[in-house]
Amino acid sequence: MIRLALPTGDVRGETAALLKEAGLEVSGYAAGSRAYRLRTEGREQVRVRLFRQKDIPIQIALGNYDLGICSLAWVEELLRRYPSEAIVRVCDLGIDRGGLYLAAADGGQALAGSGRGLRIVSEYANLAEALAVRLRLPAYRVLPVWGAAEAYPPEDAELALLAAPDEEAVRTWGLRPLQQVLETSAWLVANRDSLAHRDLTPVLGRLLAHHPMVGEPQFCLPRRLPAEVSRAASALAERGSVRLALPDGHQQPQAVAALTAAGLHFPGYEEDRAVRRPTSTMEGLEVKVIRPQDMPQQVALGSFDLAITGRDWLLDHLRRFPSSPVEEVADLGRGRFAIVATVYQDLPATTVGEAVAQWRAQGRKAIRVASEYTNVADHYARWRHLGHYQVIPVSGASEGFVPEDAELLIEGMETGRSLAANRLKPIERLFESTTCLIAARRPLEGRRRKLVEGLVSRLREAGAGAPTGPREG
Amino acid sequence: MADLPESLRCRGMRDLLPEEMARFRRVEEVFATTCRQWGYQEVRTPTIEYLHLFTTAGTLSPQMLSRVYSFLDWDGWSGERVVLRPDATIPTARLYAEHLDSGRIAKLFYVQNVFRFAAGEESREDWQCGVELIGDTGTRGDAELTLLGTEVLEALGITEVEVVLSHAGLVRAVLARAGFSPEEQAALYDRILDGDLTVLDELEGRLHDLKAPLRLLFEVQGSGSGYLANLRGSLQPAIPELAEPLEQLTLVTETLAEAGRPCRIQAALARSFEYYSGSVFSFLAGGQRVGGGGRYDELIGLVSGRGVPASGFELDVGPLSRLLPEPLKAEQAAPVVVVRAERGTARDLARAYASARALRERGLRAGVALDSGEGGDWELCVGEDPPYTLRAAGSRKTRHLSDLEGVLAVLEGSGR
Repeated sequence: MIRLALPTGDVRGETAALLKEAGLEVSGYAAGSRAYRLRTEGREQVRVRLFRQKDIPIQIALGNYDLGICSLAWVEELLRRYPSEAIVRVCDLGIDRGGLYLAAADGGQALAGSGRGLRIVSEYANLAEALAVRLRLPAYRVLPVWGAAEAYPPEDAELALLAAPDEEAVRTWGLRPLQQVLETSAWLVANRDSLAHRDLTPVLGRLLAHHPMVGEPQFCLPRRLPAEVSRAASALAERGSVRLALPDGHQQPQAVAALTAAGLHFPGYEEDRAVRRPTSTMEGLEVKVIRPQDMPQQVALGSFDLAITGRDWLLDHLRRFPSSPVEEVADLGRGRFAIVATVYQDLPATTVGEAVAQWRAQGRKAIRVASEYTNVADHYARWRHLGHYQVIPVSGASEGFVPEDAELLIEGMETGRSLAANRLKPIERLFESTTCLIAARRPLEGRRRKLVEGLVSRLREAGAGAPTGPREG
Repeated sequence: MADLPESLRCRGMRDLLPEEMARFRRVEEVFATTCRQWGYQEVRTPTIEYLHLFTTAGTLSPQMLSRVYSFLDWDGWSGERVVLRPDATIPTARLYAEHLDSGRIAKLFYVQNVFRFAAGEESREDWQCGVELIGDTGTRGDAELTLLGTEVLEALGITEVEVVLSHAGLVRAVLARAGFSPEEQAALYDRILDGDLTVLDELEGRLHDLKAPLRLLFEVQGSGSGYLANLRGSLQPAIPELAEPLEQLTLVTETLAEAGRPCRIQAALARSFEYYSGSVFSFLAGGQRVGGGGRYDELIGLVSGRGVPASGFELDVGPLSRLLPEPLKAEQAAPVVVVRAERGTARDLARAYASARALRERGLRAGVALDSGEGGDWELCVGEDPPYTLRAAGSRKTRHLSDLEGVLAVLEGSGR
């Protein structure tokens, strides 16, 4: 059996075409099947599982999969922090070409500065960290984000390290590309032990026939930063306005509904579309759209005074940083779901204690807990005394992890239908999440205080009148 | 993320068993005693420091920084990372700048662990005996430190000690004369510090006035002031900036020679620290590096903003404790008395503990037996009648005694 990890998302079409060309057609992959486990046509010995690209290097390094296809950027992100991981870059597949760019705010925009070193925002936090060290920055902070890194400069970061198809794409985000740090594309990667001990030729041979081996990827760093970027580090921004962060993605319709109920509308932020900087209709209020996962940290840092996010992400932040000043100030009453611990449907256990006893009886040493909420999962594992456990970070497609790649999944559940479709059952309810308004326990004065209090009050009222019950889906 | 090893101990971490711990303590005690005798005072810095203390240029090299244990603390929501101390000199420089910067010379020493990632089973936690001499001591300070280091090694009974001397200014002078930009110098210096000597070809290509090959400096390891005179004669005309480092090295070399401690000279002592600015030295014992240090005049300024010259060294406890003479020189240890309660009653048990304490107060080593197999040099049984029965290990002869004074009289008179 050869275990192959393939990417979901935008690169799926190109990857499917490449596999077909190599004679490794995967049923339903090109057509966008929603199943997480697929088969290759006429090759029973190949088992395929779909993951978000970011998760593939981790799964290969863990040894759960022998081969995988994913962006080189995510491989380097893992290896930069954990250089001895059991992952081998086999060859460049030549698809999904682009680059990792270091970018600053466009020259015309003033750099605010945090007063305590440069802020580098990135989804690739380990690479950003390595970059800061190589640039010998005297003081810096890496702001790890789930996405939308392009939205941060100049107000919320001086530098961004981000993936883009080319320099022009970086410019269309209003940023100035300083350097292409890494040329990226989709690579074939392998688990070191699998490569050393297992016959992978039914897949490896076919892909290598089309894509001969190439050299090691090279990082290219700027020798120095532009003077205005370096200077920004020492300038502390004084801000007179109130800043509100709004979520993109799944939470966007809930946020729009809550704002509408509160009589607020920001052109550019609609149920089905959003720009990063919607127009503010209130004097003294700035609005920006970022990922809900990143909001608690941004509010804690003081970059935003208010943010609309999910309680799930607030609690995940607080589990990691218990003394963070962020708190919920209004329940918006929408987007209700439960965070649950789930196990494989056929496991004869009704409590997590029984489940642990089953896994131990099966000889499993480390219980693998998969979750997007890594801090909630880690806290849960300690709280429930799981003993020897591993938290496996997941960035999506999480319901396919149990039982092959994890024993326990900490996951959001609305109606339970999606869990059941993936042969999962909830074993414990951790907490309930709804869309909420968060702020930092920090004194505000004058006009800013009045504006914040007004917004909190309107949104709190809108939340109280929200329809109850889970959404269908 | 590979499978966890069978052992419950973390990879790269070591347990010290009683015999190893005794050796560890011997190194620590001899080091601390010698330092105190020389007028140095002990300090200790925290295990966790801010990462930015180590990332500023001129502190740790990129290669070393890629091995630090850094993480976000429980209140690290601002994104500021902390680190398990990867080096002890930089925190001591911080400690000096924050607490002791009075303009007078500070003589400090410490015994601390440092944490650096290493692949496989190689050690990731190492203990260092460190000395820092902070203040304007000039080259005399460097000479003092090399002598202090060798005296500690001698006091430990370690023979075949060798001092290898260098000067950070040698490499820097060559790089500057070769006309590299400051950024290029930093990159080349990082390569040299990381042990990459292929840089020599690039350098020679740029130094046209050179009358002698750079190999004379980088590949030949000389000894004494004769070799230094040769370097002055052959390389200094083309690289006049070598004059000051060579002069400083000469003073240290000659002081060591006068003190009967000859040394070897090596231009590039490849280390992963880039804070050294003057003389640099390593201590070798049995051909193995057991410590080293040097002058770091810029470091305190980088940390605190106010420059204070300084130099220091560290000795590695791990290799030193393994090099201690076998067997460990026996201490004049007091005999061990195992005290037994005749019956298991609370009264007898309490008397057994009280008796053991009284024996300890008289300088003996005594403990209460917790199982029947526990033995020592003497066995003292505490009961009702007679109150005390004393027997030497391996002897059938017992002594019945009515009070502890009698017991002590026998023990102290036995000579065991």
